[in-house]
This record gives sequence, C-alpha cells and structure tokens, in this order.
Amino acid sequence: MEPNQDLPNHSARTPFAQAQTAPTGHWDELQGGVPVPADSKAFSPLSGAWSDFMQHLPDVSPAALNARMAQLERQVHDNGISYNVYADADRPQRPWSLDLFPLMVDALSWQQIATGVLQRMRLLEHIMADTYGLQKLLRGGQLPASLVQGHPGYLHAMQGVPPVGGQYLSLAAFDLARGPDGCWWLLSQRMQAPSGLGYLLENRQLVSRQFPQAFEAMPVQRLADVYRQWIDGIKQRSPAGADAHIALLTPGPYNETYFEHAYLARYLGLTLVQGSDLTVRDSRVFLKTLQGLQPVHGLIKRVDDEWLDPLELRAESTLGVPGLLQAVRSGHVLVANAPGSGFLESNALLGFMPSLAQSLLGETLHLPAIPSWWCGEQAAMQDVLPRLSECVIKPTYPAFSGRSNFEPVIGARLSQRERDEWSGRIMRDGPAHTVQAFLPLSHTPTWQSGEGGGQVSSRPLILRVFALADTQGGWQVLPGGLARLGTREGIASMQRGGGSADVWVLGPTATQSKSTANNFQSQSMSMGTMVGASTGSSPAPSVWPTPSSTPAQLPLLAPWVATQVQRQRLATSRAAENLFWMGRYTERCENTLRLSRLTLDVLGSEDQTCGPLVDWLNRLALSQGLVAPGVPAALQSRRVFERTLVAGLWDTQVTTGVGYNLKAIHLAAANVRERLSPEHWRLIEQAQSAFFQAPPKVPHDAIQAQRVLAQTSQLLAAMTGAQTDRMTRDDGWRLMSIGRHIERLDFLSLAMQMALQGETLQAQAGFDGVLALFDSTISFHALYQQSRTVSALLELIIVNADNPRSLAWVANTLRGRLARMGHLAEGRTEELSHQIPRLIGKDVLELCPDGLRTTPALTDLLFDCRQAARHTSDQLNTLFFSHSALAGQIVSA
Amino acid sequence: MSMAPRSLRITHSTRYDYSAPVDMAQHVAHLQPPHTPCQTCHQHLLQIEPDGAQVRTGMDAFGNHRAYFALPMVHATLQVHAQSIVTTRQLSPAASTLSWEEARAALTYPSSLSREPAAEFVMASYHAPIDEVFAVYARASFTPGRPLVQAVTALTQRMHREFTYASQSTDISTPAALALAQRRGVCQDFAHILIACLRSMGLAARYVSGYLLTKPPPGQPRLIGSDASHAWASVWLPDAASTEHASGGWLDLDPTNDRCGWASPGTDYVRLAVGRDFADVSPLRGVLLGGASHTLDVGVTVEPFVL
Repeated sequence: MEPNQDLPNHSARTPFAQAQTAPTGHWDELQGGVPVPADSKAFSPLSGAWSDFMQHLPDVSPAALNARMAQLERQVHDNGISYNVYADADRPQRPWSLDLFPLMVDALSWQQIATGVLQRMRLLEHIMADTYGLQKLLRGGQLPASLVQGHPGYLHAMQGVPPVGGQYLSLAAFDLARGPDGCWWLLSQRMQAPSGLGYLLENRQLVSRQFPQAFEAMPVQRLADVYRQWIDGIKQRSPAGADAHIALLTPGPYNETYFEHAYLARYLGLTLVQGSDLTVRDSRVFLKTLQGLQPVHGLIKRVDDEWLDPLELRAESTLGVPGLLQAVRSGHVLVANAPGSGFLESNALLGFMPSLAQSLLGETLHLPAIPSWWCGEQAAMQDVLPRLSECVIKPTYPAFSGRSNFEPVIGARLSQRERDEWSGRIMRDGPAHTVQAFLPLSHTPTWQSGEGGGQVSSRPLILRVFALADTQGGWQVLPGGLARLGTREGIASMQRGGGSADVWVLGPTATQSKSTANNFQSQSMSMGTMVGASTGSSPAPSVWPTPSSTPAQLPLLAPWVATQVQRQRLATSRAAENLFWMGRYTERCENTLRLSRLTLDVLGSEDQTCGPLVDWLNRLALSQGLVAPGVPAALQSRRVFERTLVAGLWDTQVTTGVGYNLKAIHLAAANVRERLSPEHWRLIEQAQSAFFQAPPKVPHDAIQAQRVLAQTSQLLAAMTGAQTDRMTRDDGWRLMSIGRHIERLDFLSLAMQMALQGETLQAQAGFDGVLALFDSTISFHALYQQSRTVSALLELIIVNADNPRSLAWVANTLRGRLARMGHLAEGRTEELSHQIPRLIGKDVLELCPDGLRTTPALTDLLFDCRQAARHTSDQLNTLFFSHSALAGQIVSA
Repeated sequence: MSMAPRSLRITHSTRYDYSAPVDMAQHVAHLQPPHTPCQTCHQHLLQIEPDGAQVRTGMDAFGNHRAYFALPMVHATLQVHAQSIVTTRQLSPAASTLSWEEARAALTYPSSLSREPAAEFVMASYHAPIDEVFAVYARASFTPGRPLVQAVTALTQRMHREFTYASQSTDISTPAALALAQRRGVCQDFAHILIACLRSMGLAARYVSGYLLTKPPPGQPRLIGSDASHAWASVWLPDAASTEHASGGWLDLDPTNDRCGWASPGTDYVRLAVGRDFADVSPLRGVLLGGASHTLDVGVTVEPFVL
C-alpha cells in the first residue's frame, strides 16, 4: 500500500486535494492509511488505486463531477431502482442511494478477502453437514446446543436430510470492515436469503458508465462469469441437470428488496415466483401457469426459512409452499441454500470459528473475524463484562416468534450507570447476549454535490462480498460487492437511509503481481499476531479470474440467458390473475373518472336543472360506489351530493371511486412488476402518488377536484397507452385486455340501460351527457353534425364497428381475444367467445323504429351484454385462477 | 400399582368432515408409538380414507415415528385410523442424588454434560417459554440444595393440588403463562406449564404425548384424559443411571394425575412422541386446499389386550 509517488500534476487543484479525511483513528481509503491529525490541512498523497483512477478522469472539476452525479441520479430514477422502506402499499418507495465513486479494493486486500472467504465457506459447509448429520461438534462440546438447536434458524425438520445435489450452501454474504491497521475483518455472515446480488449489478452498470475510461483502463474484475457458473452449478446439482427449471422465490412486492428480486430474476433468466405460484404434488414442486403445471427443479430463495412451509414450519405462513420440505427430503428439488442455514448467522458463532477451523480443516483462518464473546459461556462473560466500554453488545438471536430483541448498543456511548444496567441484563440472560469488539470503520471518498461546487467527503463503509457455488462442488468469491455507506456518525442500514457504492476489485497489474506472493505472506503474518493465533503459511491459490473483455455496460440479460427466454414467457396463474385485474381496474378507473368529471361538470353548470340527466348520473354514481347509499339525491340537495362525491374521490374505505381504483391498479401491477417497463411502472406510481398528494386544500372544492381529475386523466391515458403499446402480447397480456373489455362492456351496457329507464336521451342535455360518458361526443359530431336523433346515437354507441367505445366494438374485441386463447384450457375460451352477443351489423331500425323511441329488444340486448360480461369473468376465474387464489388452510387434531 | 408388563391395544380415530370439498391436502402424523426400554410396539396400522394417499414414513429429529401423506384427490371426508398393540413395563427406579443446582450447572455449557442430547431441552420453545413468572411459581418447591427428584416431584404434586382441570377452558393457542395465572386448563396446558417452570429453573424438560388406559382395573379411579390423547412432561436427571441412557435419564411427570415414574409414569401410560412442546408432536397436522369449514371428531380407546 505504498502511496503512488507519480502524482498527476492536476490533483493538487482538484476537489480531491481538499477532500475531507477520515476521523482520527480510522483508515482512509483515499490516502491508503490512517490520516495524521496534525497534518490534516496539508495535502496528502493518494493511494495507488485512487491516483490511477484520477489519471483516467478527463475532468475532475466540481462542475463535471456534479454533472455526472446528476446523470447517475437520473438513471437510478429512470431504472426504477428502489428499496421499499416500509412493507406497506401506501408508503413511498425509497429510490436507491448510490454514490458516484466506487470503493477501490486493491489486489492485495482482495487476495486476503477471497482466500479467507473461501476458507470460511468450506468451514461453514462442514458445520452444516455436522449439525444436520452426526452432530459430533455438539457431542464434543465444540459448539453449544444453545447456538445450534437453540437458534430459531436451526430447523429440526431438516435433521438427517442430506442436501440435494450434495452441497448445503450455494451462496453466502460476508460483511467486512477495514480496521485502522488496514486489514479486513469479518463482522457478520448472511446465509438464509442474503440481499445485494442484484443491487450490486445495477451499481456496477451505472457507475462504470460514468467513468468509462477508468473502468476500461484499470484492471477492474468482471462479474458475469461468476453468476453464470453459479446458475450452471445449481442446475447441474438439481435433479434435472442442465435442463433444470430454476425459479427465484420472493416474498412478494412489499418486501423491501423486491426490486432486486425482479431484477435478478430477469438478469439470470429465472422465473420469479411467490409461494402461492407453486404447488407440491407427489413430493415434487410445480409452477402453476396458464399453460398448466410446470415442474420446478431448483429454488433460489429470498424468503426466510421459517416461512418456507406452513405444513412443517410456521403454520401461519402464506409466503411458503405447503409440502416443500417433503419435496426437499425426497430429493426432488434443490433449494439454495438448504433450509436451516439461519443459525450460522448468529454473531455468537464467530467466536467459535477459529477452533472449529483447527479441528475440522486443520487450518488457521486467513480472514479474522472481529473478536466476539458469547455470554452463554461463563468464562467469556466474565472476560468481557469489564470491557463493555470498548465493545458493542448485540443480540445472539434474531427477533422471532414473539421473542423480543434489542438493537446493538455501542458500549462507549453508554454512561457508567447504563453500562452497569447492561451488565445486569447480560448476567441474567447470558445466552441471549453476544459482545463484540468495537472496530473503527475505514472511510471511503464520496461525492457530495453542492450548489456552485461540491466536495469529496469521507464516509464509513461496510463491504458485503458474496461466495457463490461453482460447478465443481466448491465456491467462487464474486470479485466485486456491495459497499454500504454510513454517515460520519456510523453505519446506517438501508432501511434507515444508508447509501451504497459500487465496488471495484482490482486485479494485479504487471508490476504488482510479481511481488504479490511475498506481500501476502507478510501481511497474513502480521494479522496472525493481531488475533493471537499462529499463522499457517498455506500458499494462497490464485483467485483471480482473468479479466475478460466484457464491455463496461452490462447487458439487460446475462449473455447466457437467451436459451431460457422461452421459459420466461410462462405466465404464472398469479401473474395472469393480476394482469386480468389490472385490466379491469384500469377500465374501472377510467369509467369512474369520466363519470365523476361529467357529474361535477353537470352539477356546476346550467345543466344541473335537467332532471333526467342529473338523476341518471346520480343512479350511476350509486351503482359504481362513488357515493355511499343513503346520500340525499342530487336533484334535491345538489350541494350535499357534490360535496359527498368530491370527498368520495379520495376515500378508499367506504366508496370505490377514483382513489380506490388507482390503488387497486397499483396493487395488481406491483405483483407483475417484472412484466412492466420501468416507465410503465413509474406512471402507475406517479398516478397514485400525484392523486393522493393533491386533495383540494379547501375540502369539497369541486373546481380544485376537477383540476386533479384532469391531471389524473392524462396519466391514465399514458398508462393505457403503455398497456396497449409497450407490453408483449402473450396470454397474460390477452387476459389483461380481456379484463378491460369485460369491464367496459358491463359498464357501458349498464349506463345505457339506466339512460333508457330514465328517458335520459329525450332531454337534450341528457343526450349530450350519454355521448360524453361514452367518450363519443367528437365522433358523433363528425358523423352527424347537429342531428340529434336517438337512432343516430344508437348507431354510434351500440352497433358501430369502428368506435372503440361502442358495445359492438367492445364485444367484437372480447370475442377475438378469447378466441386467441384457444390453445389453453382445452379450447374452453373459444366456447366462451361464442357466448358474447354479436352487435355489429345489427339493424338500428329494429331497436329504434321511429328514430326516437327504443324497443324492449334493446333492453334485452343490453341485459345480454351485461350477462355475458359477468359470465365470462366467472368462467375465466374457474378456468385459470381458481387455484391461484387459495391459501392453504391449516388443521390440527 | 402392578409391576407386571401389560399389553394394550390403542385405537386412535380422527375424522374430518368438510363443508366444501377439499381439492388437495397434505398431512403429517405422529401416531405410531416407538420402542422404548419400557414399551414395545408389536403392531401398528395406519389406515387413511379416502384411498390412494401417498404415504412416506420416517423418523423425526426427536426419534419419533412420523408419517407424511398427501391426498391429491377431491374429498369431503378424511378418516385416519391408527391402531397399535403395545406392551408396557415398569423400569426399576434409578438412583439420583444430585441437587437441582448441581443439575443446572451440569447442563450449562461448556460442562461435559451440556453436550448430552438432552441439552437442547433446556431452551425455551414457543409453547413452553422461559419466564420469571414460571420461576416464581417453581421456586417454592426448589429450596436450596434440595435433590432434583424431590424438587420436581413436589412441584408436580403442588400443580396437581392447585390447578383445576377444566376441559374447554383453553385451546392450543392459550399461552402457558395465562393458564398459569388462571390455575386451570387441560393436560396440555399443565404439561407446558411444568416444562416452562423446569426450563425457567435452568433444567432440561420435554413434552410427551401419549395415551392412558381408558378403563382402569376394578377398584381404581378412572384417570383424567383417558378418553383422548394425553400429555405430560419429562425432566432430565443428569446423574441417574438407567438402562435407557448410560448416564442420565428421564423422569416422567404427569401433573394432571399426579403420577411420576422413570421413563414413564406407569404401565397404564403409552408414549406416542416427545418434543420441545406440542408443536413438535401434534398427532395430525395438515394443510388443505379448499374445505371451507370442518367438523372434527377424535376418538381414543386404550384397552387391555391378550397377545
């Protein structure tokens, strides 16, 4: 870590020269050392990696960096990268927070990390094999039962079950921090469902694009190959081999990292599934699709273990698959990782690892973990209690099943009295407490944009790296990672608004590689002394894949995914049902929006005196749930009705107006987000949030409400445009379109029926109102100018074949879409299509012989249309969705 | 009480009637009695209606027989009929002199006894948690230096005295702490409370599900819980020498009927399964698709049998 002596001349004038340095006692990544406090004003040389990086920046002025930062933020926004802060449909999603600068990890550091992580993976795999097998470690006293069977992450149900494919662990995340000594330390490990594999790809794609020259010129390790081998390995080990169908199991759109699940599934060519998409038959796992049951041979899970199977684990789980554990037990599905790895995540286990490494591998650990004391052991507790002020107190177990828990506590920030209280707590319940040494985190430079400037300021970081299984029964360390950034005060979780940075792992340059071996050895020696263990001088294997010539920009799909595309087009029954409802709610939203606008228009104009019109709107508003039953009639108390209607727009509990439908669209769309373009999804989010942010300031103000409705109408038009033009026209899309047309057929028939009942068409304002609700005013005037015969109106909105708002057109489209789905469900949709009334070419004179009065035949026809709409919906439900809606019921005797 | 072995036939029938057809179901059953030093299972039959269930049997992590079965067909009724023939015998009492404090220390890591398979039963479980309220109740029986056997027997007797058995007063979701506060419940609650008390004192205790002889021999009172499946507790004595373990053994405690005995409260008891609490040994647990509501009918008969 010698600072580079050949500093480029311009660096003294750049923002880097004025960079804020790490606080006293923290390693500074930019300088490659611990800053000397007395010197803080003086210019410090940059570390080798950073000075290399600077040499490849065409322009390091604050203005140029601000511009890059702005571009980066725009892309984060455009790509829709988000992190759900709350598991709640109503709260906004947090845009992903990504810094402009990558974290640089030099070749030497990386070799220490990669070697150490691989060694720990071997050890963890051993521990899994033992604790779920012969349990020698427990009987030999090398592991306490409290940390194995006593941990909720240990699954008794999996005891004695060999891992499908021979490997328990297919992936693991390791959180590392760099101490003031420049060495990397392990803080914790994540096994059950670690997040970050998708976000880090997005980070790489966005940051490498901002610094193309540096990314090309520096030996930055590429990532795609390790992902490819990971998926290949999982397929190979699954029961179906290379042709295996692998799915990614997500808890669903309200999980905080759902964005990443959808992104990873798309990148890796996996089917994104929720528990309810799967079913176990004869101890095998199947995906429920429109095309029938499709076998699934492997699951990469992002659902925590205890929720995986309501039959054997938490009974109330709706995220899992009943019978999944039996399928694993039978060897028919590979689950990555094998269920039951959660106990390995306990911080308490870290203290047992050095001796386990000795006894199981005969090796000394290359990557030290931060010193950890499990207070369930008297000696350890006695040892650490006097040192609480230098330590962090953490829970041994996660919060679960009603067991409460506490947030980690930094001893140095406690008063003497508080520390005594904590000592008391620890003595009363030692096993629940684990104490770890406090490590001052290293700081990395970040770019803080500012008006007319901006600055390089330093932020503490935790580096998450990943070990992924390869195709040989071992693992590879992904040469990259996710850097999580804190504030100057400390690390914050993503949930609390922490940031992230791309991680550039640098391969050896020609000159470095010669001296690497020696350097590595001397470094591991010095680390050995630090953790008080002797060093085995096992030569490290070369861990660097050759940097490939992958372009800076990652493709949207991993390059090997093409062969999988066929499978990706499978529409799960759940996706199909959500698309169907997305179509129905979109149409409902349009209808209620048009009806609300028309009603407010009429009530605010001189047409308010037109009895048949006002009465017709009143009855329609009631039928659509825009106002609750019992509201005084609009003809009697116009103001009260208007106020109620306006208030109902934003209500989602009592009424089912515009706000209700916008939410319903959002909910359905969130479930099929991976099928929507980022623009499309953004429109849906925007429509909802803009609407709910803008209720009239003066309550019940109809004019303000009209303005919001006009705005929403535009966004809705853009949404329907995206539905029509920007989605692949597969069976899922067809169901969405069918949903829209069923709803339109039903609504328009009803509106017409009610108009006939109330003789609305006989009043001039009523005639215009019907045309407006059918969105056909312009067409009508173009065709018939000032003529106002009822027969002309019926021609346009009942039998016309070219007006997309005519019943004939809607029925025709519906028939066509149903017929196109004939390859599914044994052709039953084709039968359905024949039951939709044919209206094109119907004789208007039959329906309205004198041009003014209608006949009962018209009423019957409208009735048939509504019946057909409802019947079709029911039948589709039975044919395609009946099994997707059912949650398993638990019984116990 | 007779020390002679006794042969028993157990019939355990469960019937579900569903208000709407069930499209598909999966169940896990713990209905087969194991072999133990004090009981031999000669025969076990599991019949499932409708026909065509896909059955897989195996042992679970606690050494219990476990049967998984899937019913891939539409059905409106499920009947599970388990019949077992078992011989029970009483073990000669083992000696244990350890005080309860010594037993607690022996179970604390890294003591060599903490490595026994029993060690995992020291820890809290969902239905039998560790809490000060249980320790407070238990302490009256756990005077300093008292031999463990005496302490747990006294606690069992005290529970029998102070608690009211009241069927329907609780269900499986009633927390043990609530049943303790009410001093009433059913055998399941009493077992959970006793286990929670023992664990809160730092001891290893497990849940036992099983059966009782339905009709007692002439002149003896009929025991509570004899017409359904029964539940009791078991405590680990680290120093007891018995045939089941080279060192250490389980003393079974039935607070419902105030009965104690090595490995079993008596020859009129049949063990079905052991676990951390009820959740590990539920006789029949299932997930259904469809079915709406259901009625459940469970019948248990345990009668003398001539082999």
